[in-house]
Amino acid sequence: MNKTQTNSVGFSLSSDRVSVIILLIPALIFCTVFIFIPAFWAIVGSFYSYGMTSLNDWKWVGFDNYIKASQDEFFWIALKNNFIIVFASIVLQVGVGTILAAILDRGIKYGKVIFRTIIFTPMVISSVAVSIIWLIIYDPNVGILNSILKSIGLPTPSMGWLGDPDISIWMIMIVAGWQNTGFMMVLILAGLQGVSKEVYDAAEIDGATGVKAFWYITLPMIRNILIVAILITTIGAFKVFEFVYVLTQGGPSNATQVLGTYIYLQAFNLLHMGYANALSVVLLIIALILGWFQLKASRRA
Amino acid sequence: MLTSSYLNKEECKMKQYFSRIWTGLLITFFSFSFISSSYAIDIKLWDLSGRQGQDEFYELLQKEVSKYNPDINVIVTEWENEAYKTQIQLALNGNDGPDVFFNWFGEDSARLARAGLALDLTPYADMEGGYGNFISKGWQDAGAVDGKIYGVANKAVSKYFYYDPAFFDQHNLSVPTTFGELIDTCKSIKAIDPSIVPWPMGNSERWKLNHVITMLNQRVVGAENTKADYALTAPDDELFTNPKYVEAWEKVVELNENCFNDAPNATNPELTRSMFAAQISPMMYCGTWCGGIFASEGFTDFKMFRFPRVEGGADDGTVGFLVAEGLQVSAKTKHPEAAALVASINVSDNMALADAELRGSLISNAALIDQMKDAPHWFTFYVNDIADKSGHVNVLDVLLEANVSNAYLDMGTEVLNGTKSPQEAMDFIRKVALEAKAAM
Repeated sequence: MNKTQTNSVGFSLSSDRVSVIILLIPALIFCTVFIFIPAFWAIVGSFYSYGMTSLNDWKWVGFDNYIKASQDEFFWIALKNNFIIVFASIVLQVGVGTILAAILDRGIKYGKVIFRTIIFTPMVISSVAVSIIWLIIYDPNVGILNSILKSIGLPTPSMGWLGDPDISIWMIMIVAGWQNTGFMMVLILAGLQGVSKEVYDAAEIDGATGVKAFWYITLPMIRNILIVAILITTIGAFKVFEFVYVLTQGGPSNATQVLGTYIYLQAFNLLHMGYANALSVVLLIIALILGWFQLKASRRA
Repeated sequence: MLTSSYLNKEECKMKQYFSRIWTGLLITFFSFSFISSSYAIDIKLWDLSGRQGQDEFYELLQKEVSKYNPDINVIVTEWENEAYKTQIQLALNGNDGPDVFFNWFGEDSARLARAGLALDLTPYADMEGGYGNFISKGWQDAGAVDGKIYGVANKAVSKYFYYDPAFFDQHNLSVPTTFGELIDTCKSIKAIDPSIVPWPMGNSERWKLNHVITMLNQRVVGAENTKADYALTAPDDELFTNPKYVEAWEKVVELNENCFNDAPNATNPELTRSMFAAQISPMMYCGTWCGGIFASEGFTDFKMFRFPRVEGGADDGTVGFLVAEGLQVSAKTKHPEAAALVASINVSDNMALADAELRGSLISNAALIDQMKDAPHWFTFYVNDIADKSGHVNVLDVLLEANVSNAYLDMGTEVLNGTKSPQEAMDFIRKVALEAKAAM
């Protein structure tokens, strides 16, 4: 009887393993075909020089592409812009998202669902469509933003919102913030709703209400959710492409270039595939480090 | 037991029945596959979208091709201008790209030829229906690289100043013949009403100003002096050092101060076309494709003039902007002869006439233009003016090496924004040109 049980359990375990492997195979095939093999070739290609029209003519250049990147002012501009977007996104998306979530959780009594839906709506629109809508809003000749400002006697930028290299990156940030803040709000709201009411009641007895309660009770209790939100925003900010491509294509004169658009420019406009691969590898390393942090934070959350 | 046996018989019948259906379906499927693979030759053709009369034009192309080979089936895919530039390169490197595709003739088409991605069409020139039967040697050479033909030019585009004669007459303005007069005209228009933009400039995609600096380089520096720089064959210590290049950029600054709208780098080029078509602005520099667009937006009473000569410049104002365009054939096509036939029939007499009439193209089969029915006045102007020019200049973003071209595009934005002076712009272009030359 014992033997039978052992066999039965043993059979069952190995059957589970087989099932696990079988179930994993489709995902592994997709990951291999669409992630691992392209990533491998990107790494290999980063040590060669070749172009889109000379794909069979690879010339070994060793680490030249990485050295070139370290000396390329536009690469550093792109990287700097990615970091600007990271920090601005955290403030705009996570910061404003947290405030909106707190208001919806405890600040208002009626219409929570309506407000939540309205704020979340931009998230379900395609980023390209959102960018085109904002392109029209920002237009210096027919855009509504200039019309409003002019109608109340305020000045407008002479080079245009997207034509001025000093402000264009911030204009892109506003668009990204407008679309993604709703998602952050929903994420943080879920965390807020997990905070027990008793905690607030106890805090109230101790004299912590309103902003004080938010600062000393709410924020520490949703700390892990906030970390996840910050990491999602950070990774998204490093991957950003469509907002920049549609709104400015990295211009004016590379002022809004980010790694995504700069890689595209090098690969498909200037036909430096090897160099574009090297830049992609740099981006991949940054994404991997951030992904590792995100994984750790998610587990803790 | 009896029931069970009865069921088995019924099951057998059902199995036989389904087996017959499956066999029938398989035979039908393979028969169709065999028939289609035996007779149809699908030729995938990629072109730019957004041109009037495109559908009718390609319906006619199918009919004309069928006269020579009824088995050829032309499948047309149209692309937006900017998306196409990237997509075509990706597709030609893949295994499912087009057989025949549109391209701008110059560095863009030559690069594909040098990389072995475009088919040598020289052997197909004189076949039945071959392009050699329809277009002149001069037009054939538009697609030549190292003496071989890698593309069949079916049309060309040029650029002109379009103006509103009613506005000019009303305010006693005359058509400028020199750059100085052009600036004076802009000043006069602003004096009439400061809110009017004399020449709307939409450079958000960077190429608009590139066309202007192409002409200014031609007018100020001249074809002879630019040739070695553009080809990156000038000695290193001379490459893009001619001070006249800086002078050309200074003219851009002058135009920006007197003629253009605010924020040209944030303005969409399509919007500027609409500003002229709606008669909000009395003048603009636009391609030969614009006449039809203005007409479709309801404005047909416009006239044109050439880009004026620059006082003291190297060019007398008779050289014009001209970019040849046409079809190339992928080196990977499985049906080279059929693909070459499609590219050739595209310039046949019937197709060329249809191209001019339906799409308003300045066709390479130019002898047919006299037969064109109801040619609009702008079309007649283009044809006569191009014939009257002493030479042609290709646009910089097609002509120059990719990095130098990109530097010119970027510097256009910088000079318009005032973030770089003309001298700084040329210093940067020279630096990029030296790097590009060293990498060649």
